[in-house]
Amino acid sequence: MTRATFLERIRKEVARAPVAAGVSTAPRPPHPEAAAEAVRRQMAERWREALDSFVREFERVGGIFHRVADLAGVRPKILEIARGHEATALVAWDPASLGLDLASLASDGLAVTTATSDPDGDARRRHREDSARAQIGVTGADFVLAETGTLILLSGRGRSRVTSLLPDTHVAVFDRSRLVESLAQVGVLLEALHVDPARSMSGAMINFITGPSRTADIELTLTRGVHGPKTVHAIFVEAP
Amino acid sequence: MSETSLQTPFPKRAAAALDDRFLQQALTIATTKFVDMRREAFSGFPQGEALRDQARAIKEATLQKLDLYLEQLADNVERLGGHVHWAATGEEARETILALCRDRGVRMAVKSKSMATEEIDLNEALERAGVTPVETDLGEYIIQLAHEKPSHIIAPAIHKTKGQVAELISAVARRPLPADPEALTAAARVQLRQKFLEADMGITGANFAVADTGTVVLVTNEGNGRMVTSLPRIHVAVMGIEKVIPSMSDLVVFLAILARSATGQKLSSYTTLVRGPRQPGELEGPEEFHLILLDGGRSRQIAGALREALYCLRCGACLNVCPVYRQIGGHAYGYTYPGPIGILLTAMLKGDASVKDLAHASSLCGACKDVCPVRIDIPRMLIELREHVGREGIAPRSERAVFGTLRRLLLSSPAFRFATVAGRALQGPFARQGRLQKLPFLLSRWTRFRDLPPVAARTFHERWKDLK
Repeated sequence: MTRATFLERIRKEVARAPVAAGVSTAPRPPHPEAAAEAVRRQMAERWREALDSFVREFERVGGIFHRVADLAGVRPKILEIARGHEATALVAWDPASLGLDLASLASDGLAVTTATSDPDGDARRRHREDSARAQIGVTGADFVLAETGTLILLSGRGRSRVTSLLPDTHVAVFDRSRLVESLAQVGVLLEALHVDPARSMSGAMINFITGPSRTADIELTLTRGVHGPKTVHAIFVEAP
Repeated sequence: MSETSLQTPFPKRAAAALDDRFLQQALTIATTKFVDMRREAFSGFPQGEALRDQARAIKEATLQKLDLYLEQLADNVERLGGHVHWAATGEEARETILALCRDRGVRMAVKSKSMATEEIDLNEALERAGVTPVETDLGEYIIQLAHEKPSHIIAPAIHKTKGQVAELISAVARRPLPADPEALTAAARVQLRQKFLEADMGITGANFAVADTGTVVLVTNEGNGRMVTSLPRIHVAVMGIEKVIPSMSDLVVFLAILARSATGQKLSSYTTLVRGPRQPGELEGPEEFHLILLDGGRSRQIAGALREALYCLRCGACLNVCPVYRQIGGHAYGYTYPGPIGILLTAMLKGDASVKDLAHASSLCGACKDVCPVRIDIPRMLIELREHVGREGIAPRSERAVFGTLRRLLLSSPAFRFATVAGRALQGPFARQGRLQKLPFLLSRWTRFRDLPPVAARTFHERWKDLK
């Protein structure tokens, strides 16, 4: 059916439907970017409480939380996690998106692939093969939602959407600036991101990740790692 | 699956389900667990009630401008480089997907759980066209291997034992696997991982679509929704028109109550927001994105008696609390959507005649309305539906005869009194332990599953006369 005919039919039905009064859609921030700025200012005061509740919720959904003093502490922590999982290969977001370069982990016997930010067909194929082989995927987190223990990741240039999906173990690295308290705040941040998406996002996907992949489809027995990661680690970097 | 075939009348399908001892046990365990988890999720969430009211208001407000939001959604998807298809019927939706498969040389399509694609019988159509559809939600994968249909909106394979699942997954693995959920899940992971990497097309439904941004939102726990929207070169999303919501501010209201209602989680493991095909700098993601907007009978109800059923989020909470669903499970309903809301959705999509029996498969206890995250008044619509199938002569003749007689008795005082006296005189042989348990003729269908109180030795009417 054509768009015009389809919509005409709906328009006609909408026009003759009884209208319940006093209902409205959710209020939207009139100036989303200013509202997002206000959220960030609030969280600069309240990040400690948010972190506490993130840790509680994240562990409740099966996540493993780590804390390091500064960026220099991230690399050894990742190495420790990799050894714990007997990993031989790691894939990561590019250094610009991650805030640190993990290439040097190669000297510790890990095969390391970092995302390229200007991919062609060949680069895509290689990256997929490497991501499918890697046991560890390292990403940042754009927002970290305390209320539910959720890591929110924007895909884009240098930030592959499968780094947090194909490897058995996902490691997300973040600092206090990423913490938010509530889904309502996430709503504000999402509104702000979409004011001018071409500027604020280089990718087409946003993932909310709340713990490892899970299913209860066989006799309601909870099982982890059905398609996505079996284990999710979060590394909090204390230094701002 | 002869017992669930639509050739078999509903009472027979229900009776078969009642005789299935494993099904009975599985239903009790599953629905009780879901009900407990939901209750716990909301008990520690005081703002939940207000959010449910708000979510309901958003659905209503969206319906009041549905045409505008759909246009806005379509414009935004197209601006992002996606394609929008308008399907008035399930057949049009199927044809659109089949044409895409033909034009793009698609051999295999991986699917993430989608009730909309179940509704349009997509898998059968793909198979006939030589395209292999692979269901990737573990529960859907199991029932696809078994050539069955989902029995629950969010737990499609609750009717299968782990022994049955082991047989199905072992056959694919070509080696015997133990009846252990963990081992079976691990085997399915390996089997399906290969499919994700090889498939040409990923097919999904949509839990929501945000008009303001052109975003399709998928809520999953396993990660298969992310796989099918990241790896194949084409992504097709099929959504009923009622899934559109205005903005991201609305989305977070629904996210706060959806998983809590469905599984008792605060959020599902994955909430995936997709805006069109992959962007130039991205390493992964489809080259093409297609959104199919499906009417399939929905628009008729915008101004119809089932309008509120268009609010449904497909969380499954009303199934778990329904005393009828808890006894007979999803297959006995016979259509894609089971449970109390399923009866209304079936009437919406297949017409009132298809629910002449199902309209009565409810005790009208109201538990469904109590747990519905958007407070859909399911009992009210079921009563209206019963009235409608009665009035239109769709209901079985015997049912109309019984209720017609009852109506005449209740409308006439002498007739009612005569019936009381006659009933008292005749009921003797049918009363057991003070109840009428086995009535003859047309009434036997009533007493097969229910008792009636006998006519009292002296009725209120008769005693009232003495009191005066």
